[in-house]
Amino acid sequence: MPTPLILTPEQTAFLQGPLSMNVGAVGRDGWPCVCRAQGVVVARDRRSLTVLLSASRGRAVLEALDTGSAITLVVSRPATHATLQLKATRAVRVGVSTAHRATSARCVAAFAGELETLGYATELKTTLASVLPTDDLVALRFVPEIVFDQTPGPDAGRVLART
Amino acid sequence: MNIALESLRPCLDGAVPAVVATASPDGTPNVAYASQVHYVDPEHVALSFQFFSKTRENVLAHPYAQVQVIEPVSFRHFRLKVHYLRTETSGPLFEYMKAQLAGIATRTGMAKVFALRGADVYRVLDIENVDPRLLPAPSPPDALLKLRGTLDHLGACDDLAQLADRALAALARGFGISHALLAMLDESGGALYTLASLGYPASGVGAEVALGEGLIGVAAREAIPVRINHHTGDYTYHAALHVADPASPRIPLPVLANPHSQIAVPLMHGARLVGVLYAESEQNAFFSHADEDALVVYGRHLGALVVQLAALPDDAEPARVAPASTPSGAPLAVRYFAHDHSVFIDNDYLIKGVAGSILWTLLNEHAASGRRDFCNRELRRDPRLPLPDFGDNLETRLILLQRRLAERCPQIALAKTGRGRFRLELARPLLLNAA
Repeated sequence: MPTPLILTPEQTAFLQGPLSMNVGAVGRDGWPCVCRAQGVVVARDRRSLTVLLSASRGRAVLEALDTGSAITLVVSRPATHATLQLKATRAVRVGVSTAHRATSARCVAAFAGELETLGYATELKTTLASVLPTDDLVALRFVPEIVFDQTPGPDAGRVLART
Repeated sequence: MNIALESLRPCLDGAVPAVVATASPDGTPNVAYASQVHYVDPEHVALSFQFFSKTRENVLAHPYAQVQVIEPVSFRHFRLKVHYLRTETSGPLFEYMKAQLAGIATRTGMAKVFALRGADVYRVLDIENVDPRLLPAPSPPDALLKLRGTLDHLGACDDLAQLADRALAALARGFGISHALLAMLDESGGALYTLASLGYPASGVGAEVALGEGLIGVAAREAIPVRINHHTGDYTYHAALHVADPASPRIPLPVLANPHSQIAVPLMHGARLVGVLYAESEQNAFFSHADEDALVVYGRHLGALVVQLAALPDDAEPARVAPASTPSGAPLAVRYFAHDHSVFIDNDYLIKGVAGSILWTLLNEHAASGRRDFCNRELRRDPRLPLPDFGDNLETRLILLQRRLAERCPQIALAKTGRGRFRLELARPLLLNAA
C-alpha cells in the first residue's frame, strides 16, 4: 500500500492564496483539454482537495473526468510565478455547497486583486466575477498522487512529493 | 474554424499568460504556462520552447495539445486545439519570438530565466470561444485609417532629404508616434546608418547599427518586422554604446534609454532591403498587431520611394545661386584618417566611412582647383570613393554628410543647387591634413 501524500502546511497555505488555477484532463479521443478553475479547498487532513469550476466552461474537462481521465491542477501566483502542479489518476464529483460558492467568489476576487496590483487593469474584480460566476459550479475532489514544482525556470517539473 | 485566428491576435501578445494542456503517452494530462503564443499565419501559432519540459516531452510523443489564451481587458477565454508540427531554432520566426520574449520576460520579472531555444510551430485545428456571452474588448483604433492619414501627410516628395523628414513627421501625425528614426542599409550590406530621426534631443544622424545588433539590426538581418510591447534590456543599444572603443569614434543612436514599446520594420523594394524604420514609445503596448501590419505596408511604400527618387537623373546644369562669400577668420583644421575614412574638424569627430571619404575628396578638389560645384554623377565615377557599382546610396550619404555638417560644423556646407547637384560653401579657410 503506497504511503499517502500529505500536502505540507506551506503548500496548503499557498493553495489558499491569490492564484491562477487551471484543471486539465484527457478525453477518450486522446485530446488533452483545460479549463480555468475558480477555487480550491484543501481537506483538513491535507490529503485531498476539492477544486471548483464552471460546468458550462469546463464541459470537455468534466466529460473527460467522468469517463475516467486522470486530473491535473496547476496553480500559480501571478506576483511571484510560484507554481505547483498536482496530479491524480481520478477525480470524483461531489455536491456543491454554499461554502464552495463563497470560496469560489473569494478566490476569484483574490486573483483579480493580485492582477490589479500588477497593473493588468482596473475593476478586474467585476470583470472576473462575470467571467467566472458561481452559478453553475461543479466540485471535483481528488487525492493528489504527485506534486511538482512548476515555477518557470530550469527546475520546473521537479517532484516535491509523491505517494 | 468558426473563429478566425486573426481575430485572436490581441490574445497573442503575451499580455496575459496562456496555458497549454498536453497528454503523455499513458494518458496523463499536463498543464503548463506558456510565456508566448505567437501568431504565425491564419492557420498556425508558435509557442516558445525555453526549457526541456513535460509539455515538450509530451508533444514530441503525442503531438496534440490544447492552448487556452485570454483576451486582455475583457478576459474572454479561447481554447485552441493544436497539432505540433516542428521546431525552428533560427530564422525570421525564431528571431521575432526571441525579441518579443525578451519583452515578455522583463514585464513578468523573468529576464534572467527566459531564453528561447526554439519556436514550436503548431497547426490550429479548432478555436472555441469559452465565454460567448461576454462582450469583446473594445477595438483598438483603425490602423488602416492611421496609415491612410500618414500617407496623406507624406504627400509627394521631390527628393530623398525631403522624403526622410516627411516620412517621420507623417508618422507623428498618422500614428501619434513621438520617437522614430530612419536607418539606411550601407554599401557593404553589413550595417545601417541613421539618416533622419524624430523627437530626440540629438538627431543621431550618421549613427550606425550593425546588422543583427538590437531590434533595428535584427529587423534588417531577417528582413522582418519586430515588435516588442514591453520594456526589455535585451534589445536596447545603451549597453553596447557604453563599451564602444574610444579609438573608434561612433555617433550614438539617439534612442530612448528605457523604451516600453519598440517596433522596427524593414524598408523593402521588392525583395531588396533598403533600410529600417524604427519607432518607440515610453508607453507599454503602444503598437498593436494591426499597427505592425500598417507600418510594414508603409515600410514597403517608403522603400519603393527611396529607390525611385535615387534613380531620378541629375539636373544638367546647376541652378543660379548667389556668389559665395570668401572664407575668413582662423582656419579650421581638417584631419583625415584613410583607414576608416574618418574626418575630424579641430580634433572633433565629424564623420567616417563613405561620407567621410566624399567630404575629403570634395575638400581636396576644392583646394586643388578652386571648384565649388559638383554633381552626383561624377562622384559615382570617382575612383577615390569606396562606392559600389550601383550608386543608389550616394544620395543618402550626401544627405547624411550635409546634415552632419549642419549640426557639427556649419562653417562647411553642401548647398543643393539642383537634382544631383550641390555647391561646397566654406565660411572659414581650411588646413587639410591626412594622417
